[in-house]
Amino acid sequence: MLKPQTKGLLLDTTRCIGCGACALACKERNKLPKTSDDVLKDELSDKTYSVVKQVGPRYVRRMCMHCVTPSCASACPVAALEKSAAGPVIYHESKCMGCRYCMIACPFGIPKYEWEKKAPLVRKCDLCADRLEKGLKTGCATACPTGATSFGDRDALIAEAKERFRANPGRYNEHIYGIEEVGGTSVLIISDGKAEELGYPAGLDGTAPAFLTWRVLNIIPDIVMTSAVLLGGIYWIRNRRDEVEAAEGSHHETPKEH
Amino acid sequence: MPKFEVPRFTFWRGVLLVILALGTYSTVVRVFQGLAGSTNLSDSFPWGIWIGFDILCGVALAAGGFTISATVYIFNLEKFRPIVRPAILTAFLGYVLVIVALLYDLGRPWNVWHPLVMWNPHSVMFEVGWCVTLYTTVLALEFSPIVLERFKMTKTLHVMHFIMPLLVVLGVLLSTLHQSSLGSFYLIVPTKLHALWYSPLIPLYFFLTALTLGCAMTIVESFLSHRAFGKQLEMELLVPLGRVALLILALTSVIRFADFRHRGILGLPFQATYESRLWLAEMLIGVLAPGVLLAIPKVRKHTTGLFLAALLIVMGVVMNRLNVSITGMERSSGQIYVPAFTEIAVTLSVVGVGFLIFALAVKFLPVFPEHEMKEARPIVVPAGGNVSGQPIRSLPVPALVVVALAFFGAVALGADGVRRREVDPGPPAPSATKPELAAALASFTPPAEIVFPQAPDSPGPASFRHASHVDASAPDCLSCHGNTYSFLGRKEAPPAGQMHDTKHCGGCHDGTSAFAIEADCSPCHKAE
Ligand code: SF4
Ligand code: SF4
Ligand code: SF4
Repeated sequence: MLKPQTKGLLLDTTRCIGCGACALACKERNKLPKTSDDVLKDELSDKTYSVVKQVGPRYVRRMCMHCVTPSCASACPVAALEKSAAGPVIYHESKCMGCRYCMIACPFGIPKYEWEKKAPLVRKCDLCADRLEKGLKTGCATACPTGATSFGDRDALIAEAKERFRANPGRYNEHIYGIEEVGGTSVLIISDGKAEELGYPAGLDGTAPAFLTWRVLNIIPDIVMTSAVLLGGIYWIRNRRDEVEAAEGSHHETPKEH
Repeated sequence: MPKFEVPRFTFWRGVLLVILALGTYSTVVRVFQGLAGSTNLSDSFPWGIWIGFDILCGVALAAGGFTISATVYIFNLEKFRPIVRPAILTAFLGYVLVIVALLYDLGRPWNVWHPLVMWNPHSVMFEVGWCVTLYTTVLALEFSPIVLERFKMTKTLHVMHFIMPLLVVLGVLLSTLHQSSLGSFYLIVPTKLHALWYSPLIPLYFFLTALTLGCAMTIVESFLSHRAFGKQLEMELLVPLGRVALLILALTSVIRFADFRHRGILGLPFQATYESRLWLAEMLIGVLAPGVLLAIPKVRKHTTGLFLAALLIVMGVVMNRLNVSITGMERSSGQIYVPAFTEIAVTLSVVGVGFLIFALAVKFLPVFPEHEMKEARPIVVPAGGNVSGQPIRSLPVPALVVVALAFFGAVALGADGVRRREVDPGPPAPSATKPELAAALASFTPPAEIVFPQAPDSPGPASFRHASHVDASAPDCLSCHGNTYSFLGRKEAPPAGQMHDTKHCGGCHDGTSAFAIEADCSPCHKAE
């Protein structure tokens, strides 16, 4: 399903110095207002699509993971969210009706809402889809001075992560977060800590949550057909009895009790 | 048809008026101040009681419609026919009100029709949207004979009677689908919904509880109409409904037990957490108590006993839906949600409007069989056949509902201390010390030198070195980036000749923050 050339990001917390360049570049690219004097204290919101958080001794980015099988896009009743072929999970705002099911569904709590507005929209990182189209890197990857955020093809990023594991024995907790988790993500994380030490949900299943829904939705046509036949059958049998009774002249105006 | 008379002012009518007034006020707030001004919803808690009660409970409470119409039309149990109309009317009203409530909750309610043309068949919400739309139409058609009768449109009436079985089958299918799909909403959040409620079987639970509720609601409605309109009580119909409800309750409990055992969480309800208390309350009120009441034949056949059991089931299902949508989602959100006053007012108004329209419909349309209404006008309580009848009028229904709600609320509040401890995130982690930062800084090479264009009178090009601008003991890129220099467009160096002004190097090299520019050129400009 996932084309090998899909773009993604590799986040390496061992290289992150918490300068916040990514977060500010994100603001710049998306023309978002300043929301905090201290970039590390900022929170994701409709005005902030990417933050750097200090979690224990590490700096960890939070942003949309651009899941391979995104829960948000699966949940959206009007297909306003879509996993594009290039990798980004993009948002068609004119379709959105504001049910906020995407926010419920996202396992990472990423989509944010413009609660204050009268015609609110969902807001989140779109992996700089327009920059990608022009052949540019994402804003955050462009700004990152240390290579803690690197941009590339997902396959190449996975290879790069493995290369870093190999070249720096003992430096990493050798797990690439996002290869398996929730069925894979286009934003991958490597670190010397475990997922829970980074404040990321740990122990996520390799199955995309969306599949849990599809499994049930897929059997619906069968359920409909079977029940239709069943109900129709019951109706036919139960009512035929009356007809037969009527034909035999034993039909009661008020049906029998019990 | 009853003559129009000026309605008398009674206590409950007064209450209704107050609720509707508050609801109107809240509607204005919702329209003019948006969701932020009218709800306590937030990014971490995007669904509140407008979804949890108005939608999830609203749809479930309307389940009487499909339960009863299936019983009568498909299973041909003709004796239930007298209660078909009120059941369909309630279902229809219920769905219309659900849609109205949805408009309050949607951020862009004017796009509510989008799922009909913008398809995402992978979405449960898409399926529910279609089912609710279709089912509401079917209910309107099922209800139409009542209106047609009233206006004596016999021809159309015949057509309607002819296609009725088809409509009913369609209606039953649609209800089955979306009653369970409301549970399927939550299949996609295995890591967010508390294990006491999250289960792969949640669609089945939602369907079974809706079925039980269908029976219970029919019983409750019959009793309420009996009280309000002096309608005759069909105990010989209601008692079997109670028995069916008991059966499904038992079946659901067996499935739930097996499910809990399979998932190895049999101990979870007894861990005295916030969630476990509310789960136990839900089971006690909605399953155990009515189960016991209905299991005793004498109680089941007693008007008060049957009514109480049905009322408990109704409240149990309401608690279930609220637990799934609110209690169960709180811990993972790290937030406690308490509905805003305006949210509550809107919800109460929706219920109030439902009651009002039902009462009006009963008054002006042939919802209940004509002879019954006439017979029962001077409220004489019939004994109800072989059933030990007690005048149900002595039962203070609103008070009962208030008591049960108060109980649920008390459990919630009682567990509040626990909840705040458990749900609230702890104090933020202590901040990293600077040496660690410096160590991190040491492990990377700052970006390359930037060489600026040379001005005509300049001794040589100036170069900017990141390394010399980052203090290893207090590294910070933001003093320049984010204020002076863009991160994305930093390929462009300042134009020659502007380097010294306050927008560029001169911004810091002013003699205070850093050495002044005019004093000596050599630190930056390399002489030719
Ligand atoms: S992280 Fe959340 S918002 Fe981003 S693609 Fe995945 S499910 Fe969607
Ligand atoms: S809020 Fe908008 S984008 Fe999110 S699920 Fe609803 S319609 Fe889709
Ligand atoms: S990819 Fe673009 S939108 Fe997303 S965090 Fe980076 S800069 Fe922001």
